[in-house]
Amino acid sequence: MPTSSSVTTGASSGPAHASRLDVAADLLALLHDTATEPRIDTQLEALTLAVAADLPVLLWGEPGIGKTAALQQLAAALDLPLTTVIASVHEPSDFSGLPVVGDDPAVQGVPMAPPDWAVRLAQSGRGLLFLDELSTAPPAVQAALLRLVLERRVGALRLPAGVRIVAAANPRSSAADGWELSAPLANRFVHLQWVHDHEVVVRGLGGTWPRASLPRLDPERLSEAVTFARRAVCGLLAARPALVHRLPSNEARRGGPWPSPRSWEMALRLVAFATAANTSRDVLSLLVRGTVGDGPGLELLAAMDRMDLPDPEALLADPAAADLPERGDLRQAVLDGVVEAVRRRPEKSRWDAAWALLVRALETGAPDLVVVPASTLAALRRADWDVPASIEQLAGAVSLSRRADEAAVRVAAVAGTGR
Amino acid sequence: MTPGVAGTLDLEKLFAARLHAARVRPYLATALFALHTVESRLVPTMAVDRHWRCYVSPAFVARTPVEELAGVWVHEVSHLLRDHHGRSDRVASERGLTGPGDRLRMNIAADFEINDDVFGDGLTPPEGAAEPGMLGLPEGELMEDYLRQFRLGPYTQGLAWLDCGSGADGLEREWDLGPEGANGLTAQERDAVRFRVAQGITARPGDVPQGWRRWAEEAFHPPQPWRELLGAAVRPAASGPGAGEDYTYGRPSRRSAGLPGVILPSLRRRPPRVSVVIDTSGSVGDAELGSALLEVAAIVRAVGGRRDLVSVLSCDAAAQAVQPLCRAEGITLVGGGGTDLRTGFATALRASPRPDVIVILTDGQTPWPEARPPCRTVVGLFSRRRAARSWDEDDPEYVPDVPPEWARVVDIG
Repeated sequence: MPTSSSVTTGASSGPAHASRLDVAADLLALLHDTATEPRIDTQLEALTLAVAADLPVLLWGEPGIGKTAALQQLAAALDLPLTTVIASVHEPSDFSGLPVVGDDPAVQGVPMAPPDWAVRLAQSGRGLLFLDELSTAPPAVQAALLRLVLERRVGALRLPAGVRIVAAANPRSSAADGWELSAPLANRFVHLQWVHDHEVVVRGLGGTWPRASLPRLDPERLSEAVTFARRAVCGLLAARPALVHRLPSNEARRGGPWPSPRSWEMALRLVAFATAANTSRDVLSLLVRGTVGDGPGLELLAAMDRMDLPDPEALLADPAAADLPERGDLRQAVLDGVVEAVRRRPEKSRWDAAWALLVRALETGAPDLVVVPASTLAALRRADWDVPASIEQLAGAVSLSRRADEAAVRVAAVAGTGR
Repeated sequence: MTPGVAGTLDLEKLFAARLHAARVRPYLATALFALHTVESRLVPTMAVDRHWRCYVSPAFVARTPVEELAGVWVHEVSHLLRDHHGRSDRVASERGLTGPGDRLRMNIAADFEINDDVFGDGLTPPEGAAEPGMLGLPEGELMEDYLRQFRLGPYTQGLAWLDCGSGADGLEREWDLGPEGANGLTAQERDAVRFRVAQGITARPGDVPQGWRRWAEEAFHPPQPWRELLGAAVRPAASGPGAGEDYTYGRPSRRSAGLPGVILPSLRRRPPRVSVVIDTSGSVGDAELGSALLEVAAIVRAVGGRRDLVSVLSCDAAAQAVQPLCRAEGITLVGGGGTDLRTGFATALRASPRPDVIVILTDGQTPWPEARPPCRTVVGLFSRRRAARSWDEDDPEYVPDVPPEWARVVDIG
């Protein structure tokens, strides 16, 4: 074997070792030689958007599923240097500042000196600060982190605005010795559940990792986005005051997102960013539910869905040009809204327009959706209003309704004889 | 609406059935109307996929009466609302179930979960609907539980034709249009529909069956295993400030030598003392108590407590002697009769040195102390869902006090 002979006959063992390491390096280089492919990645998009919105993000995920790798990708995409700080191996003074006794403490005071990573971060002016292992940090360290996350202060030093903060934590099921997040600290983060995609992992180990397309803000849409976000959040909270502040009462929801004026402000910002970046509702859903919690987040999304529905007054003004939603449940909500608008301000012309809309709904969609609004609308009739001619076109809906009635009678009869 | 050959699928009959279903189950109307119907000749009856499309066989609609079709509508939409496809996928990966036979079992188990409470009250069960009674199984259980209790064999022969589509068991079917197909709902839209249905149910719970109410409560907050919750409650209590590990300037840090002029705190560790007070009144079962006690002991060890610092106290109407856990491999739990946990609190607090944490394991049918005790309190509450609400036979209207605000309460079992 030539290789072994060169080792034994070589002048010294030094070059031989180097060459073995060189071969190893070649093998490593081959292993590192991977390609990327574009792929839609909702969680990475959500992370990018929240970081762009300058909100602190907390990634929840089992150990070893690529949270750090995602952060590296994010840092590269945003062109920010990445600083990783493992929270659980630091002491509280590393975040609140180390007291340094000077010459005359009575005159100069005791300055709280920041650690080196904070100084470097402040000098570069921009960067991505990654606080890893947050949930396994002792409570005193978490308390010190509160100030870092909220006020961006490390001791006497203030981190510049160009620094973005992302933290990571293991869920308490997997962190055997972990503490849970206190409610005030939890309220300051956008919580994102980080899960691995089986397909992505298998393809990645095979040599092709995904490359997510990152959201870009459209400069044209900024003011429109702010208006939309304010309208969505304020509209919901005006109607549902109980949603504004609700401390987690349930043991299962501690340490997670919960609604408060602070987290609603974060949600508002996220809605504006998502609108300006034109991201999908799925991404926004992850973000909003991770900010104010599942229930309030879903209510906000439902309110935004309703804002997307056509305005009943506009439909009544021009029923011929009405564009009704394709999906049955949304269409039903629109028709109910139209009938409700007529009930609030009953006028003959509006009543006729509503009938025209129902006829249009019957022509373009499922007939069973029309039955309930039609009967409600019929009940709104005043004595001096003539039945519009178009009502004959609703005959299909009437016969459908009759068939359903007959079925109900048959079921009742069977139930009656059965007992 | 369905593109395709006109005049084959009796849409009017299908939609009349949907209208009837929405009338007798108004809280499901949103979900029923959100389904998009697709005509398909490959489907044996009706089937759903995970994108909320409903595939319908024209021949099945032609031969089935309207009232039975309405039952099928509700049945199919129940698969989607209860997330049977997602749960099937999770069960499959947890228990290593592969192959179409296992997926068929999941479909049958999911049907059992639905069928034992959706029919009746205006809905007729379709012919051949699978019910748990067919295999001699009890009603009212979850799909995951049913799945453990039967295999495919001669008894399930009659169910082999059953096919509710990929929405029921997660296995893609040949007729599925897939995620790219038209008119599917995105994950966010699916959640929104399920949320609206759940909201409708919790808003007027009066005329909704128990099974649906439970679903609505848990739809977005699945119950967590109590072991995790108890651990999460005991852990911070035993390690918070004043107990366990904390930083102190009282003693210089060992790093100080290298950094002259810098004052560093050091980490001080004092293992927490935990008192477990166990309600041994007649109303708490032995098996429950045993498992909960072992759990507390394991958690305390995990936060660095030594066994000699954990003491156990059994308490019914009067507190018994305190037993340290180290010598009580088999702790004698004495008691029976009624409960007054206030004596248990008092005895635990009289111990010297005082405990850092008191963990109470009880069914909650006891008076509670008026004032907050001077240490952290975690209450493990055994649920009494199946037992009668009242515990006092002389006073059936009696409702026991709820655990006080200052205690962290974990529901066990």
